[in-house]
Amino acid sequence: MKNVKNANYWQINHKVKNIFRLKGVTVLPSVEAWEKFKWTRAHFDKKPKEGYFIWVKQRVDSPLITCISISSSNVFQNLMNLILIEKNVKVEINSFCNAIKKNLFGNHKGYSKIILKENSELKVRHFHNWGKKDKVAFHLDFLLKKRAKLSHTYRCLEIPRKLKTENNTHLEEDSSANFITTILARDGKVDISDSTSLNGRKSNGISRIRVVGDKKSKIVVHSKMIANAAGVGHLDCMALLLAKNSNVKAMPELINRNKNASLTHEASVGKISEEKLDYLRSRGLSEDEAIDLIVAGFLGEEEPIIVKGRVILSELYM
Amino acid sequence: MKNILLKVEKLWVKGNEKEILKGINFQIKKGEIQALLGPNASGKSTFAQVILGKPKYKVTKGKIFFEGKNITKFPPEKRVKLGLSLVWQSPPTVEGVKLSKLLKKISKKSIDIKEAKELLEREINLDFSGGEKKISELLQVISLKPKLVVFDEIDSGLDLERLKRIAKIIKRELINKKVSVLLITHWGQILHYLEPEITNVMLDGKIICKEKDFKKVFKVIRKYGYEKCKKCQLLAD
Repeated sequence: MKNVKNANYWQINHKVKNIFRLKGVTVLPSVEAWEKFKWTRAHFDKKPKEGYFIWVKQRVDSPLITCISISSSNVFQNLMNLILIEKNVKVEINSFCNAIKKNLFGNHKGYSKIILKENSELKVRHFHNWGKKDKVAFHLDFLLKKRAKLSHTYRCLEIPRKLKTENNTHLEEDSSANFITTILARDGKVDISDSTSLNGRKSNGISRIRVVGDKKSKIVVHSKMIANAAGVGHLDCMALLLAKNSNVKAMPELINRNKNASLTHEASVGKISEEKLDYLRSRGLSEDEAIDLIVAGFLGEEEPIIVKGRVILSELYM
Repeated sequence: MKNILLKVEKLWVKGNEKEILKGINFQIKKGEIQALLGPNASGKSTFAQVILGKPKYKVTKGKIFFEGKNITKFPPEKRVKLGLSLVWQSPPTVEGVKLSKLLKKISKKSIDIKEAKELLEREINLDFSGGEKKISELLQVISLKPKLVVFDEIDSGLDLERLKRIAKIIKRELINKKVSVLLITHWGQILHYLEPEITNVMLDGKIICKEKDFKKVFKVIRKYGYEKCKKCQLLAD
């Protein structure tokens, strides 16, 4: 939490602690946006109680940061967020959600709608970090207008008791979305549902999911790519199982309604290769050290967050 | 006896319920270079992996000593800490792990090998050429500061130029520093650059020949094939 004070939107439990505005960017609690900008109501199915509204009207050089935490017991957050990126604008958003302690029985429920107007670019890094008693469910709707570009990475290496994620992405002509989802599951249930619709010609969707199932974890991944127009889509789901009492169900689904579209998928669920373990042990690593290294490699390195020229670790926000 | 680094006594080894090594006797002194020749499937690579303690192989009889210590039941990492190391013939890819990250974890000393610099920020063995794999392997084992390095087919898949360069690095970083070396080779090309003091021949899981002059062994193998070695077991034990 060391860097949280420079976040553009900072909420603890239900209270907005800080809003840090930048030129060309409107940041408000969702409920204020509902009152102030009537047009936003079309994007919320009811009046929001909490959450943020971010409207980016011009290019911002440093990434925007949002932090939403749970710090007290039995808090039930019900967030509604709206992000709007105007035409030709390029922006990065780092989004952090976490429980400050590990035994708070928190409930973090969220709905976010993200709209990228023509020719805009958005890069989102979304980090979660939870305690074993928490429950988390979030739903993201992305709408990409012509030639818009989205890169979205989600990373959760400490899962709650139950984690449910749902992404729905709609791509118009020549737009592209690239999702990377990385989850390390220990002692909990994970349900990932991910759907991308290629609605315009030359649209391009990629979804890569990496999950590791350790002790008593149950993981379900349902990823779907739908081609309604002549676009290109790829699904990729790789899972590693580390423990006997964990399981992974991977269900990639391709639906093609256009003969000029191209959809592909790859999926694999398996244990750590013995050869790799032997190899690393022959370099002097113990079996546990070798497993940790292989898992870290499988999940991929965290992309560095750069704020005002400084490299910042995601843990500093959580 | 004090000078003996590794000693293998009447070693019998099974892999997948099949007997692979059948009563191997072998020893190597501190700072010595030896070679192990043999046709495909004679058990050479199994021998290399067993020295390093690969769990897949079961020692059914016999013992392995390193500096007088019985290491037969030691796990691989403990053997490495004692000073044993292996250069793999076909090392696996470790996706997502950069070579520099592994080196940071295992290194006992930093090494400056010009050829290795461009490999450091790449994922271990991912899309490495045959030569790059060998360089990466060398870099890893040298950084462990070993007392004995077993090279499993270091000369396979290398052109002559590369082979010369690899041999030069082995000489500079290991042999000149009195590290013992066991060169396991099918083709024997490397032996022209790193002359072994003893050459062993393995056939059907047994070492059937030990000879000081490797050129003499080659001559026989080239002329008559490994079959001739079967009849020449005078120096085996």
